[in-house]
Amino acid sequence: MSIAISGLTFRYPGGAGVFGIDLDVAPGAFCAVIGPSGCGKTTLLQLIAGFLRPETGRIALSGVDVADVAPKDRNVGVVFQNYALFPHMTALENVAYPLKLRGVSAAERRERAGQALESARLSALADRRPNQLSGGQQQRVALARALVFRPRALLLDEPLSALDAAHRAAMRDEIRAVQREHGIATLHVTHDQEEALSIADVVAVMDAGRLLQLAPPRELYDRPVNRFVAGFVGHANLFDAKVAKGALETPVGPMRTLDPLPEDGATVTVLLRPEALEPIVEAHVREGVAAADGALVLMGAVTRDRFLGSLRRFDLAVAGGTILGETSSQAPILGVRVPPGAVRVLPPEA
Amino acid sequence: MTPSAPRNTRLLWLALPGVGVLTAFFLAPLAVVFIEAGKGDAIARLFAGREFWDALVASLWLGARAAALSLVVGIGVAAHLARVSPRLRAALQVLIALPLTFSGLIVAYGFILLLGRAGFITLLLEKVGADPAAIAGAFYGPVGLIFAYSYYLIPRVVLMLLPVFLNFDPRQMQAAESLGAPRWRAWFEIVLPQVAPTFLAAFCLVAAVAVGAYGTALALVGTQLNILPLRLYALISDVGADFPLASAVSVLLLAVCSMIMAVAEIAAARAEDVNVRS
Repeated sequence: MSIAISGLTFRYPGGAGVFGIDLDVAPGAFCAVIGPSGCGKTTLLQLIAGFLRPETGRIALSGVDVADVAPKDRNVGVVFQNYALFPHMTALENVAYPLKLRGVSAAERRERAGQALESARLSALADRRPNQLSGGQQQRVALARALVFRPRALLLDEPLSALDAAHRAAMRDEIRAVQREHGIATLHVTHDQEEALSIADVVAVMDAGRLLQLAPPRELYDRPVNRFVAGFVGHANLFDAKVAKGALETPVGPMRTLDPLPEDGATVTVLLRPEALEPIVEAHVREGVAAADGALVLMGAVTRDRFLGSLRRFDLAVAGGTILGETSSQAPILGVRVPPGAVRVLPPEA
Repeated sequence: MTPSAPRNTRLLWLALPGVGVLTAFFLAPLAVVFIEAGKGDAIARLFAGREFWDALVASLWLGARAAALSLVVGIGVAAHLARVSPRLRAALQVLIALPLTFSGLIVAYGFILLLGRAGFITLLLEKVGADPAAIAGAFYGPVGLIFAYSYYLIPRVVLMLLPVFLNFDPRQMQAAESLGAPRWRAWFEIVLPQVAPTFLAAFCLVAAVAVGAYGTALALVGTQLNILPLRLYALISDVGADFPLASAVSVLLLAVCSMIMAVAEIAAARAEDVNVRS
């Protein structure tokens, strides 16, 4: 129950598409694919499902090459963005349909589809039509339908985008729980990076048809391979910097880092995650802020202050630029300290 | 909030011309026809001979065939229209709706110019060895009528079916395929059940139109063919006009068309029930 993709290329007449994708999803693993609209993530899903034929490359499901296998014979469960439930069938009939297609007897169909609905807590709604169900309920029917025939892989195409924010988080956990229970390799396409980080074992970041990075959420956040990934995943301060005498010269001032540095004169990109910066409040100033341990001290004025409940995200105008910071403190902010541990040097771009 | 009383009254006044027209040209004639039909032994005479039964059966058979042909052609046209670009679709829709603006008489005249004894197509076919008499013979009968009716029934079918094809979510086909359905099974088990009620509604609607149409029929076959609308025409235009019997035929025709329309309405309601999403 794994997905293995290598050298996968598909071109639309307009020139868009996906180019040379290599992606492995281990048995039982949950892989989220993120990227801006038009980055090719849905195309990738359509290729795996067999709705599109690749130009070159290989797709193997549970070790079986499916290049020449029709969609109906691929044994892949797909949950669509709008669920694509059959409106003329009840919830139970929808879930039983893939079993009917496999020649399962009517009695066994009822039994298995009924069980699937029961574990989705939908037994009471089995005889309802899709238009009599809420978005979340339709979602659970679609998920049950995609899993009831024990597919080799599960493909989710932005399944949460049609739900309101309150249901989205709960549904996210439910999808993950059901996926774990079935131990099925899953590819989840989404444009919501927060959703991807919270749900997946590994996250694939795509842009313009190419796979930029495939890594566990933590690694993706801490060690993005380039500026695009750093900016797309989470919030980021990104600066161009020049390496000089073991330090980094940035528009806002010289920074030290714990990361290994290339030779003097090289140009690199510096990433500062907002939560890694240490805000300076009045008390710190009274005690005297030390630039100890090589930290860069940036004093300035807050130009935007966003209240996010447990968190506060602010823009700080400093000499040479603007710094995005995060804090749980509600005190007035006068500046930030940039300790060397907060300064990440991105690999030079090819 | 309820609108104030004076405003309500004013709105009622606006409806008055409509009510007047409806009364003068629909309710009153309808009442007269019903009263006339009840006079004397008109209804008894209507059901006495085989003649009117034959006319009824012939009318229904003609309507069914014209509607079936229109539906088959219309499904194809609508399915194609749903696939083309919105701009081309809008242009084609104008073209397709054009026959709806022609009177039945003009349509019949056009068909005579094409397929009559000296018609353009008849003469062309004669060159490849067809018998013009045989073509014209078939044309000035039910077959010709079916073609002429289809000419303005097809646009109606297309206009009714196009929204169904446009609204159908292609991802349902993908979903069915991913669940293991061969293409033909997805068509029969997923697409057809959803579109069938609208197909039936379209069929009934155009069948009712065909059963009641008389302009084209009169122009094309005169009063030779024994169908209800032509029977009715003969009863009010001939020297021996028989108004009570004509009224009885009218009531019969009205009843038949109403029943067909009722089936269409029920089918349309069912289609809505399936397709409306909350």
